[in-house]
Amino acid sequence: MALASGVAGPANGADLLTSTGRLRRRLVFDRVIGWALLAAFLVVLFPLFDMLYWVSAKALPTLTWGTLTQNQVGTGGGLYPMIVGTFVLIGIATAISTAIGVVAGFYTSEYAPAPVARVARIAGNLLAGVPAIVLGYFGYFLLVIYTGWGFTALAGGITLGIFMTPYIYRTTDVALTNVPPAQREAALAMGSRRGQYLVRVAFPIAIPTILTGIFFAMALGLGEAAPILYTAGFSSTPITSLMSPTGSLAVAIWQFYDFPSTYGSFLALAFQAAFLSIVIVLVLNVAVQLLSDRYRRRLRGLYQ
Amino acid sequence: MPAGEAPAAPAASPPVARARTDRWAWVGSPLALLPLLLVATVAIVLLVASGLHNFGGSFWSTRYNFLPGDPAGSSWGIGAFVAGTAITAGLALVLATALSLALSISIVVYLPSLPSRVLTILTNLLAGIPSVVYGIWGFVVLAPYFGFTLEPGLRDVLGWLPGFGGPASEIGPYGILLAVFILTIMIIPLTTALMRDALRSVPHDLIDAGLALGATRWEVARRVRMRTARLGIGSAILLGFGRAVGESVAVAMVIGAVPRLPLSLYSASTSQASFIFYQLDSAFFYPFLLRFLVEIALVLLAIALIVNLAAQRLTRTEIATATTVGGAGGP
Repeated sequence: MALASGVAGPANGADLLTSTGRLRRRLVFDRVIGWALLAAFLVVLFPLFDMLYWVSAKALPTLTWGTLTQNQVGTGGGLYPMIVGTFVLIGIATAISTAIGVVAGFYTSEYAPAPVARVARIAGNLLAGVPAIVLGYFGYFLLVIYTGWGFTALAGGITLGIFMTPYIYRTTDVALTNVPPAQREAALAMGSRRGQYLVRVAFPIAIPTILTGIFFAMALGLGEAAPILYTAGFSSTPITSLMSPTGSLAVAIWQFYDFPSTYGSFLALAFQAAFLSIVIVLVLNVAVQLLSDRYRRRLRGLYQ
Repeated sequence: MPAGEAPAAPAASPPVARARTDRWAWVGSPLALLPLLLVATVAIVLLVASGLHNFGGSFWSTRYNFLPGDPAGSSWGIGAFVAGTAITAGLALVLATALSLALSISIVVYLPSLPSRVLTILTNLLAGIPSVVYGIWGFVVLAPYFGFTLEPGLRDVLGWLPGFGGPASEIGPYGILLAVFILTIMIIPLTTALMRDALRSVPHDLIDAGLALGATRWEVARRVRMRTARLGIGSAILLGFGRAVGESVAVAMVIGAVPRLPLSLYSASTSQASFIFYQLDSAFFYPFLLRFLVEIALVLLAIALIVNLAAQRLTRTEIATATTVGGAGGP
């Protein structure tokens, strides 16, 4: 194994073959532990590939075009209502959390006095630490019971938006804070106001990172059943309005996974929902990788 | 995103060009304080919903005796749920800490850049997989292996250790050990990313000095990197614990869902987050059960907030990488 950094070789050129005694023991130990640590990757890579394999193996044989276009009927049919519901929920949640997160990030990174910024950052991290199911209860009491709406897509979207906000807020804040100070000094020296600097200089530079944060928050939101089960409810027919309950892929898995084998087709539906969620998350991952690579290449000169 | 290289939070911006038209400041200030408001509101809403009257008496009892038609005869305490949470999240954290340290040292110290990049991307991919998918994979694929191969084997070999010898789960292959394993692989991407950044942000002078004195890579990793980065590593561990404590769906699917103290590592049990996740729809009909669920939620919230604050206290630096793991892909 080569050294990760281009510094000296192991123990600065001391040779494993010619050294003896204590030095040799230390060099051998260094090698051995380098390989032993790699074993940890098995524990991580095995679940990843096993999960991808089994979910595909259980979903693909029964996956048809109808899965994407039909309603769920009894123990069979398709997942069309849940797919639409997922996109509606994520759409509402992304709109809310991006609006709040990005503007709040603008303020925290550029305008906020130091103590305010400190408190705001701590609070943002705290919100990210609130368990998703606790947010689900919050949404249930406030948006389902107190407002009298009942289970609605809107309540689910808002709750999911609250869940996603701190991630977008943090990345926006960090991305803007990390813009090279020379850019700011140059912009202000040319007489631009801070708002102009933010929108025309800092924001374009920070966009790849902010997008990464948004996509990551979307991927997180897609997989969470806890905030939406008791706010958006569940429905096996397509959503009719924002004020009606809606199914979603994450909740569908939860609804269908635990039935006796006589209802085997329920389990098939659950695996199809799992497969579709993974596909959507992977697409998001690849999209963010490509997008940020492209922007990064365009902006490379700035960071030197 | 290379947030590990982030400079510390900027000092207050100099009062240059404070113009009349800074609408971002005007709109942004309430929005930036919204998270604080939300955390407070969540706590208040739950406090109100709990009715504030069940605290005290048998609150910490480990018994759970729910009689649907009989509010007066039902009695319960939160003890078994807190214990289940502490055991599953605690054990998962021990495993995840050891594994993440190994992974992050591997990536930062030993591996050449290409394998290190690829493995980082794969680890991050694990973070992107929805938690319900972990759950259904554990329920369908992993559970039979745990119940019929791994756990009998463990009992034969390690049965003399406390916890390893007890009875198997009575409801199929679902129980504590499976939940611990699922939680471990769920939090590894987070703790690994945080530890990686912590180990990487150790000043180069110190590392070069160690190497120049003739220390091997492992010795430098162990005595210079890990020691210098110990606060960051501690913070990573706490944030991993917070994530494990709050996980509801995946745990609910594999832990067996029996509200009582676990009898052994294999026995079915419960945890706070998973219990309040799958019980709310039965509580729609029983207001007195609903209040109990809200109390569990409140205690869960308190634990999560305390752990999170402690983690933030350990590292004054940005912990934003915690929130972006999985998105960036690159190291």
